[in-house]
Amino acid sequence: MSELLLLTPELLVLFGALLALFADKITGHPRAAAHIAAPLSVVAALVAALIGTRGGIFAGMLALDNVSVFARVAIALLLAFWLHWVSGRGTGGERSAEAVALAMLSAVGGMLMASARDLIVLFISLELSTMPAYVLMGYRRGDARGLEGALKYFLLSMLTSLIMLYGLSFAYGISGSTAYADLGAVDAGTLGQLAIAFVLVGLFAKLSAAPFHYWTPDAYAGAPASSVAYVSTVPKIAGVVALVQLVAAFAGNGGTITVVLLVGSLLSMLVGNLAAYPQTDLRRLMAYSGVAHSGYILLAAAAGSAGGTAAVFYAVAYAVPSMAIMLLGSEEGTALDDLAGLAARRPAIAWASVVWLLSLIGIPPMVGFFGKLTMFTAALDHGLVWIVAVAVTMSVVSAGYYFKVLRSVFFGERLDARRATRSTPAVIAYAALTVVTLALGVLASPVLEFFGLRF
Amino acid sequence: MDFPLLTVIVFLPLLGAAVVALLGNARAVAGRVVAATVAVVDLALVAWLASRFDVDGGMQFVEKLTWVPQVGITYHLAIDGMSLAMVALSALLTVLAIVASWKTEKNPALWFSMLLLLEVGMNGVFVAMDFVLFYVFWELVLVPMYFLIATWGGPRRQYAAVKFFLYTLFGSVFMLVGIIALYLQTGTFNILEMAGAGLDPKFQWWVFAAFFLGFAVKVPVFPLHTWLPDAHVEAPTAASVLLAGVLLKMGSYGFLRISLPILPDAAAEWSTFIAALAAISIVYGAAVAFAQTDMKKLVAYSSVSHMGFVMLGIASMTPEGLNGAVAVMFSHGVVTGMLFFLVGMVYDRTHTRMIAEVSGLSSQVPVAGGLLAFASFASLGLPGLSGFVGEFLSLVGAWASDIPVGWVVLSAIGVLLAAAYMLWLVQRVVLGSPSAAVSGIADLSAREVAVLLPLVALTLIVGLYWDSLLRFTDPAVRSILAMMGGA
Repeated sequence: MSELLLLTPELLVLFGALLALFADKITGHPRAAAHIAAPLSVVAALVAALIGTRGGIFAGMLALDNVSVFARVAIALLLAFWLHWVSGRGTGGERSAEAVALAMLSAVGGMLMASARDLIVLFISLELSTMPAYVLMGYRRGDARGLEGALKYFLLSMLTSLIMLYGLSFAYGISGSTAYADLGAVDAGTLGQLAIAFVLVGLFAKLSAAPFHYWTPDAYAGAPASSVAYVSTVPKIAGVVALVQLVAAFAGNGGTITVVLLVGSLLSMLVGNLAAYPQTDLRRLMAYSGVAHSGYILLAAAAGSAGGTAAVFYAVAYAVPSMAIMLLGSEEGTALDDLAGLAARRPAIAWASVVWLLSLIGIPPMVGFFGKLTMFTAALDHGLVWIVAVAVTMSVVSAGYYFKVLRSVFFGERLDARRATRSTPAVIAYAALTVVTLALGVLASPVLEFFGLRF
Repeated sequence: MDFPLLTVIVFLPLLGAAVVALLGNARAVAGRVVAATVAVVDLALVAWLASRFDVDGGMQFVEKLTWVPQVGITYHLAIDGMSLAMVALSALLTVLAIVASWKTEKNPALWFSMLLLLEVGMNGVFVAMDFVLFYVFWELVLVPMYFLIATWGGPRRQYAAVKFFLYTLFGSVFMLVGIIALYLQTGTFNILEMAGAGLDPKFQWWVFAAFFLGFAVKVPVFPLHTWLPDAHVEAPTAASVLLAGVLLKMGSYGFLRISLPILPDAAAEWSTFIAALAAISIVYGAAVAFAQTDMKKLVAYSSVSHMGFVMLGIASMTPEGLNGAVAVMFSHGVVTGMLFFLVGMVYDRTHTRMIAEVSGLSSQVPVAGGLLAFASFASLGLPGLSGFVGEFLSLVGAWASDIPVGWVVLSAIGVLLAAAYMLWLVQRVVLGSPSAAVSGIADLSAREVAVLLPLVALTLIVGLYWDSLLRFTDPAVRSILAMMGGA
């Protein structure tokens, strides 16, 4: 029983998901689900922070180390921000209650994934975090393009999940156990190599890292921007934690894993950044930018335990401003030209978007800079000089396309723009995301101290 | 704890920027008064600091707090004579830029808050003694400058602003790699502690290369200078003044504060290469300036040439050369600031910057014409004016050093070229009979003269009484050389 109490945050979110399904009916308010769920998620984050770190629970199937706790809190908080925004804006023309429930279920999966120490738990929580995402991506039932994207996402994601499961079965066959702790036994033989490669295929696809990123732009471009805001950010944090922990578990296997990670990193950085440049739709642009950021994350993940922590920190640093930008796209329209003249219409949001975009480029003092700093430090410490050189060059390229967004916001002209109605919850969500983007950079120290993160 | 004077000097403009932004365009008149007041108070604080400054006291007014102890980052500010000269320049030019653009009508709240935000970055770079903090200020400068150019610039402002941003960012990300490499090697981000760490020469070479990219783009050194003419031509006057006057110096300051003391072996290895690039920059900048038909472009290319003397002085690694480098940095800030202001003031009246369309300023507008001639003389390095001091010392230093004589001679030819293109400019623009564009225009207003007078005074003071500047810079450069192991 006492061990179950340690899962209070997950249970709270799960409870919220179930409640959300009925909240609208019970209260008669169209967005009651999100209104109830948002504070519940904040409470879940607080509880997760209070519980802090614990060793193995449930016979070692789960464990709450520093990184897991950080990810758990981050997932719950980001979920809360997203829900808060939904409580103000809804999800387009569709009912929002199901979206709220789906996002919360996905978050439960993510939070479990972050603390998984067993292959079975990993797989189940991974599926739990991904399945609702398929539905969210195809949330507009009448939209053929959206459904096509969602179907593509579903098929590719299922395929890679199964490949991953196949890899997990190899790992089990070799080590005779599903516990991470025993994975060191997966030796450098052909079967072991295949096991590692298959597992990474699955995770790469979840992180939309090249060369398994093809579903991303199409799925994002067809989906409602509000869904993209969630799906492109929160599950990614959990995926990175799982990746980092698996990499650590597999460590000592002849360097295959490092090679695979670095190849994926290089490809993702190049493909993501170069393909993002010509995009004119915010969702496609952010899809490719997500691929690029996954590339940086893989680079950090290849750089030992310090790199692993840096990778998780970077995943959060990526998720916060990205979510904000997609939410903005959901309000203003997703073509880059739709953002034109935003500075005149909504100056405060326009300046907040400067903070988000500069953070994604990696300009101090925003969190993106500290993410890059810790990541490059870990990578250079591992002697990965050349790939770091590629990474920093590519971050300059990324500035090129983020500036296209900025340029539209500040210097574009749009005559037909309708003024978005005021929505206090949405403004609070933006404010929270902006504050986190700034504060995690300037006041990184207390946060790192609290979670005991070391790079 | 002492009064944190440096913190106030750096962050007071941030407060001002916030107030100006919050006042908004509806209360822009109040906003610009706030902006001017903040900038003047900041300048006064710098003056107060200078009055309490002990020229032989090394690093002073030190403030050191932990910031992110997990990764060894501190909040560490300090100032020496070289930094003081640069901060003074930054604070002064900000005041003048605000006064000169007093009548800005397009989105004034944003304009003045961006100028103040820029000052935060400029002041901060010169007093930050922690690498990460230094990098924060270094990048902070880019954002307001991007907006200054992109919002108030000329027809190709978007292109120029993004080009400026991307070029500088390209350099600075490699600088970041260098910073991290140094951190991994020494275990600290403290710029001052790193000096004399006795790093492996081969390692130094690579880190020097990384920093070189960051600093050389900013200076700019040929062939990394191509962003500069675009940025200058498109930038509004006040932004041009600050760009040339202060931002370029961040690059050369980086060489002096970081590359030389921390990487002395590599610096010695690179010195001939840098001297060669410096000489090429000097002659190339001058030659291209010669060919310009646009006054602003001419001044922009003359900056490439003048900054070449800074690099030449740095490459010499002698006390004379380094003093000369800092003196050129200071003087170029003052003189080029004056030139950009004047070109802007002439443009406001004639609506053209084409040399061919402007002539006879001295007979139509004698004050403007006379000051333009004065600034041109200062720029070409007339003895008795500030431009001469640094270029002379740089050449002396280069001559006394191991730099191959050919490069020094080439640089000296650059002085002649500077005299030629500046005098030719004076002949065409200031002298002669008034052209159509010039006839009927009004002379400088009292406000405009007030902007230029401090710069005229500084040009004369530094030019006639060298010690007024060198007493600050000399101990600083000698300590840099001492850190290099008395090279």
